[in-house]
Amino acid sequence: MTWLTQYINSIYLLDIERRLSMAPWTRRLGTVMTSQRRAWRPALAVLVTLALGATTAACGGDSDSASSSGKTLTMWTFKQSHVKALQKVAEGFQKETGISVKVEAYGPDDAYVTKVQAAAQTKDLPDLFEVHTTGDDFAFGGAGLLTDLAKDVDDAWLNSYLPQVRKDGSVTDEYYQKSLAKDAKTKGIKLGQRYSVPLTVGTFGIVYANKQRLADAGVTSAPTTWEQFIEVLGKVKAKHPDNGGVTIGFKSPTTGLEWFLQPMAYGLLGPEKFRGLWAKDKAGNFASPTGVQVLETYGQVTPYWTPGTQSLDIDSADMSFVQGKSTFDIGGTFTLAFLAQNGFDAANVLTFPVPAPSNGAIKDLSLAPFTLTGVSVSATTKNRAGAVQWLKYLAKADVSATFAKEALDVPPTDLGADPSAAVGPALGAMIKAFGSGPNAYNPGDTSYRPNAYDGTPVAATLMDYTPLKTKSAAETGAEMTKQIDAYWTKQ
Amino acid sequence: MAVDTIVKGPSPTRRAPLRGRKRYRRSEVAWGAAFVAPAVVLFAVMGAYTVGYGFSLSFATWNGFTPNWRWVGLQNYADLLWNDPTYAPRVHTAARNTMWVMIAVPVLTVAVSFPLAVLLNSVRRLKTFLRSVYFLPQVTSGIAVYFAWMYVLQPDGAINLLLRSVGLGSLQQPQGFLGNPSTALPTLIVITVWSSVPVSMMLYLAGLQAVDPTLVEAARVDGAGTWHVTRHIIWPLLRPITAIIVLLALRDSLQGFQTFLIMTNGGPGNHTNVLGLETYKLAFLSQLDPTLGLSSALGWMLFVAALVLAAVNLRAMRRLT
Repeated sequence: MTWLTQYINSIYLLDIERRLSMAPWTRRLGTVMTSQRRAWRPALAVLVTLALGATTAACGGDSDSASSSGKTLTMWTFKQSHVKALQKVAEGFQKETGISVKVEAYGPDDAYVTKVQAAAQTKDLPDLFEVHTTGDDFAFGGAGLLTDLAKDVDDAWLNSYLPQVRKDGSVTDEYYQKSLAKDAKTKGIKLGQRYSVPLTVGTFGIVYANKQRLADAGVTSAPTTWEQFIEVLGKVKAKHPDNGGVTIGFKSPTTGLEWFLQPMAYGLLGPEKFRGLWAKDKAGNFASPTGVQVLETYGQVTPYWTPGTQSLDIDSADMSFVQGKSTFDIGGTFTLAFLAQNGFDAANVLTFPVPAPSNGAIKDLSLAPFTLTGVSVSATTKNRAGAVQWLKYLAKADVSATFAKEALDVPPTDLGADPSAAVGPALGAMIKAFGSGPNAYNPGDTSYRPNAYDGTPVAATLMDYTPLKTKSAAETGAEMTKQIDAYWTKQ
Repeated sequence: MAVDTIVKGPSPTRRAPLRGRKRYRRSEVAWGAAFVAPAVVLFAVMGAYTVGYGFSLSFATWNGFTPNWRWVGLQNYADLLWNDPTYAPRVHTAARNTMWVMIAVPVLTVAVSFPLAVLLNSVRRLKTFLRSVYFLPQVTSGIAVYFAWMYVLQPDGAINLLLRSVGLGSLQQPQGFLGNPSTALPTLIVITVWSSVPVSMMLYLAGLQAVDPTLVEAARVDGAGTWHVTRHIIWPLLRPITAIIVLLALRDSLQGFQTFLIMTNGGPGNHTNVLGLETYKLAFLSQLDPTLGLSSALGWMLFVAALVLAAVNLRAMRRLT
């Protein structure tokens, strides 16, 4: 703005000078040529002022640089609920090391990505930023925006994390091979590199139920099979016809597919047949009898959707649950923080994983945790050592537990046999419910899908079956398979 | 004398036409350059550079992060139109929806704003107040209004409540007007028309003020009623304004997407996706896929379509007027 002010001032001054130069006494003083030369000068001054102003403005960009030097680190996050929690643990970090951490939130997710895009173009990145693990971090890392942490994160550091998430953030062979595909978003990453360390873990496919409403309908315990779940939905709907339904943020269509159908389908079919739904082989894809069976089972929930849920985004769906317009809300481990932030009594929530059908391949379906978000260090940081120190500090069990308790999010560290003691009963119950092995559905495993796969159009097609009821299960399965096959052709 | 002046040539008070180029003093040139410079610099940075950058991007793939673009020639255009089995069907669906919007919005905007303007022009009392009321959607338009519309259109929103309370319960939408695939697009069209009527009405009102009252009086003396005056005198005289209104509505329908983004994001499912929204999604909601080039290519195709439509529209209206 300074150069603009200078420009306006100079115009004003030049106008005065011009008026003076036009005054009769000025003309008397010199020749016409002299007058012309005088008139040239202010015009030149304007151009010079402009040029200098523009240069000053261009050079001045660095003064507001997001990346900090010396004793202050700047960290960006897309989660508002993480700001206070990070700031709280940063106080301890400052006492220990003398380095302060400034946390800034930018949301929602797409706005955050645009912010990083713009900052990358103007070379104005912060020292650290929170990322979606094995997604943003690899894309940013492949583009050269991040520093490789492989040599910094040693075994002692890694051992502080849960065994299931220790590899998350590092480039395994699976992700490296994917990055070699034409137009892969992670192009540029190299095998063995590490671009982030875990900050929060969790999983999708958690059902949040209003405990009081369930009790009103005579339901006192969580359903353990899909059939029981449908029965519970029926009972609650009968007791609360106006607000006894299920909600999910269908405005992001992938929620229905990935948070609801997929866990149930994994329990129904088991790992191999589940992967077959996305395979090129026609024997077991969505268009096959197996696929149609999955869709029809999922379709049993159709009468119980909260009216209008197909128009709600994820936050609005959660708010519908908070405001009592819905009795069930499908989300992830991260949903609890949002519900609590908006005033829902955590003691009135019954949580359970999306259950498998009783005749399914997996009887005791559980959900495997994976790293939801991690923290990366930018390649342009002026204090790399300090940034790495901060990451290591966050991985300490007590620090991680403090952060988790404040953010109401699940930490990646091993909190021992009784996590409730460290993070409270609600989060502790979720951590205890985590599973591993073939009986645990891991939403973070996407190795069975085509490299170019984008779930949004496929999930939008699924919506035509339920809740929109504009297509049959067979038609929907055929259309989903056609879309998935199109991604395979790009492989 | 006057005739003589005309015959003899230009009046002595008028400046004689210059033969050849006028010579400006260097100081005048400098002053001119100084005052024009900011606009030129701004256009060079914000206009020409951006346009050139965007156009060249339409021949490349890039996700906004990688240091280099990958040049693909015309492949982005081919992928969007027919070649890519994942993008082309989405563009076709969006094009169909856009076509309905482009037909409905101009027609409905003219159908609502012209009679409204004629009525407002003829009222004797509260004219200013009524004009302000009908102009309100224009001054209040924005994200907040679209959110308000979303609440009104929900299953438990005001419109369903109103329909129920006046005994038209059968017209209620249990899933909300935006939740039913068959009502979502028409509802968005109505909201787009609602927001474009005020300006169109003001344009018509301005046109009506300029209509020579003697023409109307003459018609009335000849026995023409209100309908005939409006149909055979007012409407033909206002055709140039109709052309502008149709052109603006077509442009908005083709390129505008904010209503769709905020209210449905193309949903439910994919039933209200339009080309402008698809362009936005390819640019900013593609989960870091390198689709900025595709987005740019689609944007340029929309630009060309808008140019063609403008030319056709102007030619057609010129013929009519």
